[in-house]
Amino acid sequence: MTTRRLFLGGAALAGAATVARSALAALPEPASRTDTNTAAPLAPAQGRPYRPVVTLNGWSLPFRLRNGWKEFHLVAEPVVRELAPGMNAQLWGYNGSSPGPTIEVVEGDKVRIFVTNRLPEHHAVHWHGQRLPNGMDGVGGLTQPHIPPGKTFVYEFEARRPGTFMYHPHADEMVQMAMGMMGFWVTHPREPRRVPGYVECDRDFVFLLNAFDIEPGSATPKVNTMLDFNLWCFNSRVFPGIDPLVVRRGDRVRIRIGNLTMTNHPIHLHGHEFVVAGTDGGWTNPASRWPEVTVDVAVGQMRAVEFVADEPGDWALHCHKSHHTMNAMGHDVPTMIGVDHREVVQRIQKLVPDYMVMGERGMADMGEMEMPLPDNTLPMMSGQGPFGPVEMGGMFTVLKVREGLARNDYRDPGPYAHPAGTVAREWTDAAPEPQRAPGAASAAPAPLRARKPSGHNAHH
Amino acid sequence: MRTRTKALVLVPLVAVLAGCATPGPQDALVEARRLAPQGGELTLATDEAARRERESAVARALAEPLDAQGAWRVALLNSPALQALIAQSWAAQATVVQSGRLPNPRLALERLTRGDETEIGRVLSFGLLELLALPWRAGQAERAAEAARLQLAADVLRVGAQVRQQWVRAVAAQQLAQYHEQVRDAAQASAELARRMQAVGNYSRLQRDREQAFYADATAQLARARQAAVAEREALVRLLGLSPQQASSLRLPDRLPDLPGEPRPAQQVADAAKRERVDLRLAQRRLAAADAQRTLARWTSLTDIELGVVRNSETHQPTQRGFELELTLPLFDAGQARRAGASAEAIAALNQVHQVQIEATSTLRERYAAYRTAYDLARHFRDEVVPLRQRIVDEMLLRYNGMLGSVFELLAESRTHIGSVIGAIEAQRDFWLADAALDAAILGVPAEGASLLTQAPAAGGASPAGH
Ligand SMILES: [Cu+2]
Repeated sequence: MTTRRLFLGGAALAGAATVARSALAALPEPASRTDTNTAAPLAPAQGRPYRPVVTLNGWSLPFRLRNGWKEFHLVAEPVVRELAPGMNAQLWGYNGSSPGPTIEVVEGDKVRIFVTNRLPEHHAVHWHGQRLPNGMDGVGGLTQPHIPPGKTFVYEFEARRPGTFMYHPHADEMVQMAMGMMGFWVTHPREPRRVPGYVECDRDFVFLLNAFDIEPGSATPKVNTMLDFNLWCFNSRVFPGIDPLVVRRGDRVRIRIGNLTMTNHPIHLHGHEFVVAGTDGGWTNPASRWPEVTVDVAVGQMRAVEFVADEPGDWALHCHKSHHTMNAMGHDVPTMIGVDHREVVQRIQKLVPDYMVMGERGMADMGEMEMPLPDNTLPMMSGQGPFGPVEMGGMFTVLKVREGLARNDYRDPGPYAHPAGTVAREWTDAAPEPQRAPGAASAAPAPLRARKPSGHNAHH
Repeated sequence: MRTRTKALVLVPLVAVLAGCATPGPQDALVEARRLAPQGGELTLATDEAARRERESAVARALAEPLDAQGAWRVALLNSPALQALIAQSWAAQATVVQSGRLPNPRLALERLTRGDETEIGRVLSFGLLELLALPWRAGQAERAAEAARLQLAADVLRVGAQVRQQWVRAVAAQQLAQYHEQVRDAAQASAELARRMQAVGNYSRLQRDREQAFYADATAQLARARQAAVAEREALVRLLGLSPQQASSLRLPDRLPDLPGEPRPAQQVADAAKRERVDLRLAQRRLAAADAQRTLARWTSLTDIELGVVRNSETHQPTQRGFELELTLPLFDAGQARRAGASAEAIAALNQVHQVQIEATSTLRERYAAYRTAYDLARHFRDEVVPLRQRIVDEMLLRYNGMLGSVFELLAESRTHIGSVIGAIEAQRDFWLADAALDAAILGVPAEGASLLTQAPAAGGASPAGH
């Protein structure tokens, strides 16, 4: 679905004057993509070969080789991004999408990146984690003049260090990142076997963690929000809009994650242990690694985790902060559990005829019922699995491990077919007496009673 | 014998001289009937049969919910106050007709005896000047009667405007009480839910009490609204003059009539006013009367001439005949004061005409502006405010569905929505009050304008804090 996009407005390429003389001849045609599906890995047509990564619900930016330089063209511009079916966000991004396309280069490549600014305000791109000349670091005002709207700047540096990086604005950074501007960068090793700690993987997934605060019923993020984000994303997508990570059983799998939200995310994988094989600082010493099932990705950090996918099935992969696996919800909505609504319902329905009781038993109603919501708003929890509602949102997807997939087959294989007798089931025989904590005499829970703190023993 | 014959001949003559006939109650009502815009039968019930007929007509009218026109008809038929007004006017008209007649001739008889002699003197005398001024007096009386008829028309129309406005107030108050009931229901649902939430430990006392406070306020507001409905209804009952039984069968429509599609154009109102103003006609009539009075005063203030026919009989003497003329000599009172008074009256009447003209146009401008403002406000409430509040409730429900908002917020918006409906009813009421006031201004009848300057209280209040 890579398409050419017409430039918006009359800005054209007036910025060419600011481009280095060596590049004046012609700018590479900027590629653009608005599709939200995970694009097939982009094998390099020119230059050194490498094993390309898979950008979750994203794509890699094509380049051209010219006089020994790998040339990319990023266009910073407003985009419309579907966060999940049923909701489009008005964001800023690069080349038609948010996040922007992944840039893949090889260690030692001379990289030239044209950045055309089609935003209403100035811009600058920072190449997070890279070794490069200070003047190419992309901090507007500090290391370079800002890129004014309508202008094109060029960045040139050698990709010196192999590893996992990202790019993001460093001009009006808070706003531009809140609007969704960011992208992934992978520098592949020139000689993989000679990079300490690096091993070739069969499948290499990359995505960024980002967050938006979009008022239900609207489409543009509230850029001034600091903490109360309501849409927690993998690559500007939320469950059930995030593609599964499809792997072949026995594959060595790498998942690279970068965090450009304003809080940490403990990313948890079911069914496997992994190691943190890399950070944005480089590959970790294999002797220093320890097994984990959850990796906490702090703000501005990147983590590359690796494991062998040897357990077939559909394994959840998600942030372990339970509010981060919800879509927009009201955090001030009072708890209705256990509140008898009888009679009151009729009274309320007299005034608001379409009113329905929710929350009396918990919030699972929400995952089961489909009720009209404000425009362009996702349910706080949704998604159907083979056994019922998944009741998730936000940073949640599935690692699908299957036997015998083709090497480059990333298509969703559908729900896992469990071998007989391996699914939790209802127990219909007599249940054994549950063990209870000593002192908990009654099987019926005593009513909760708030106690006033009294004396020193009330302190924790 | 001859004397008697002559006296008999005098009777029809006197009747002719006495001029116009005594007015009946129907004559008194001519003007009022002609001007009453809503039609209806305006009569004075003078006997028991008429009163019974009137009662059954009222009963028929009260069988259905009473609309504004029905209220006017019932008032015409039924209101003792209005009947009293008509009767008083009839009396006034009869009095002025009286003033147009000649004073009765005087007959003086004297019988004197001296020994066996008896002397009988007879003098039949009447005011010559008054006889000569008879045409003027008759004209004056007619003018006064017409003024009285116009005054009655004005009084009846004033009552008509009052009836119409009170009907509007009563219907609106009844309608408002229903919506205050809904506000109370919404607050009650919130309070009940909050009570249950506290009972199971999900709400604090403070949270519950806040919801309870809205309920308490709404209950107080409802009590006031219900009392207002009773008060406005009873005011209407008094205006219509309904007996206790009639009052108990009075039913009002559930809602005020819809706004007209378009407001009346200013030109149409101005044209109608030029044709029909009672106050101006009344002032002009009074001016004409004062002018005529001044002319008459020029003569009558100077002197008075009394002409008498004399016939004296004396025992043993032939009858003595002759006449006598009696003149007032304007020595001490040349009538200047009376003439000055009449002139002053005429000047006052002229200025009153001017003042009425000024007030008439100014009042009409003001009433028309009030009418247009009331129309625009009522339409604004109907087309903007209420649909907007409804949309907010709809959106709030969607938010509630998505667990983005609480049921308490939903109920608070519902209360505010009902509050906007209350505002709309008040605006609609004010429009109909202004409409009646404009009609009254066109006819030149005093009536209260609608007060559009006060802000309608926002029933339901703002959203509760803390959600
Ligand atoms: Cu998280």
